[in-house]
Amino acid sequence: METPRDEQLAADLRALRSTPHPDFADELDKRAAAGFPRHSRLPHFSFARLRALPPRRLMLATGALAVVAIAVTGVLVATNDTSEQQSGSSQLGFLNSYDGDAEEPAPTTSPPVETSAEEAQPSNGIESAAGSASNNRPVRREAQVVLGTDPAKVAENATQVLETVRTYDGIVLRSSSHQGPEGEAGAHFELRFPSAKLAGALAALSEIGELRSRHDTSLDITAPTVKVGELLQDSKARIDSLLAQLGAAETESEREAVEAELRQERHYRARLRANLQKLQRKAQFSRVTVRIETDAVEDSSGGAWGVGDALDDAGRILAGAAAVTVVALAILGPIALIALLAWLAHRAWLRRERRRVLG
Amino acid sequence: MAEAKDAPRAGDLAFERLYRSSRDDVYAYVAGLLRDSAAAEEVTAAVFERAYRKRNRFNPRRGEPRAWLFGIARNAALDELRRRGRQAELTKDPADLESLGSSESAADSERRLAVAAALERLDPRERELIALKFFAGLANAEIAQVLGITESNAGTKLHRALTKLREACDGNA
Repeated sequence: METPRDEQLAADLRALRSTPHPDFADELDKRAAAGFPRHSRLPHFSFARLRALPPRRLMLATGALAVVAIAVTGVLVATNDTSEQQSGSSQLGFLNSYDGDAEEPAPTTSPPVETSAEEAQPSNGIESAAGSASNNRPVRREAQVVLGTDPAKVAENATQVLETVRTYDGIVLRSSSHQGPEGEAGAHFELRFPSAKLAGALAALSEIGELRSRHDTSLDITAPTVKVGELLQDSKARIDSLLAQLGAAETESEREAVEAELRQERHYRARLRANLQKLQRKAQFSRVTVRIETDAVEDSSGGAWGVGDALDDAGRILAGAAAVTVVALAILGPIALIALLAWLAHRAWLRRERRRVLG
Repeated sequence: MAEAKDAPRAGDLAFERLYRSSRDDVYAYVAGLLRDSAAAEEVTAAVFERAYRKRNRFNPRRGEPRAWLFGIARNAALDELRRRGRQAELTKDPADLESLGSSESAADSERRLAVAAALERLDPRERELIALKFFAGLANAEIAQVLGITESNAGTKLHRALTKLREACDGNA
């Protein structure tokens, strides 16, 4: 209950109350009536403005943003697929350029290592290997081709594959062909083509049926080739040395000992030579696998695009979008956490400072 | 359609009402904290601008609009004081103190000068309570919301501040 003294004190305190200057009050009234226009004419973004949006509009904006994100992801996924296909083509382009270089007598026409005795200038083969390593690096190439066709055309396509092998001087290592209904009929070939003719052979094989997939891989085998070449050279020097020792041997026992060592070294050298030839064959001949299928086309490249394809595409796009979201969260999550902690710390500091101002 | 678009929204109308009813109170409270009329004008304008921008974030379930507005005003005034590195001073400008007696009786003027002097000797937190109650004209419940304390606690603190003020006035007399 307030006493007259309390009422008097309250009245005195109210009398101490400041009042705004009329000019300031007028100016503030005008600004309030105009909705406190900003000084800057640039559009100002703030979370306060975002939160001020009506929920329906915010949901629409979020939905539109999500659609755009999914569309961008879809385009990215599609682009990724295309680039994968293009990388196959570019590898083929590399093979084409290699093919062009190989028009000059490179590995296929060079003498394949010496096949006679060690006296017959074995260094030619070593130099050949070293030369091919420096000028035209030995590369092992492999390709897998999958063709689609009708069950009735399997035999015809298989014949075309064999014709292609003949045309490009290839070798058939294995082949099998099955007749039957769709899905069961098919053929499989394991082939070798001269690397110099691989590009042409692949192009010809790709035209035999509906090309469903083609993968090209290459592996640089320069290091093992050079290594074996060096070992071969060392072995040759060792044999030359042993032959010299053999010529200088005076006793029968000495001769026998050197001959035994010479046999061993020749045996070792023969193994090295076989290895080198094997490596050179790998560089000179590329392995190609051809599969002829009669299954229904799984992707949309050939047949009509249906609901199943649409669902597959949608699943792929959603999976891509999910992957992008996970990556984005992995990046943004820690940043958001740090920002949140910084904001909380700033807020706590600000509260403490405000309390400190009041003593 | 155009009329509906041009019609002021409920939030705008509510803000306008709040502005009309609180403009002078906010200024009085801020001026009481800052003891600088120019700075008080600047901060008062900033308070209403900030409140206008945040008007759609106001949640009626969390308190009265005036309490919300004075919470913004309190933060803005304390930030201004913090920037200046000054202590809060809840007294009037010396010029205002001198002009107190111009339209009043000598006894009233003398008594109010004594009250102003006593106010200066109060703890800053108590001075803020006085400012919220008598300069801003807030009810105890609104003061409690602004300061983040219970209403009974606000009442108790206010009572203590007034008692100390009265004793200080008696001491001056």
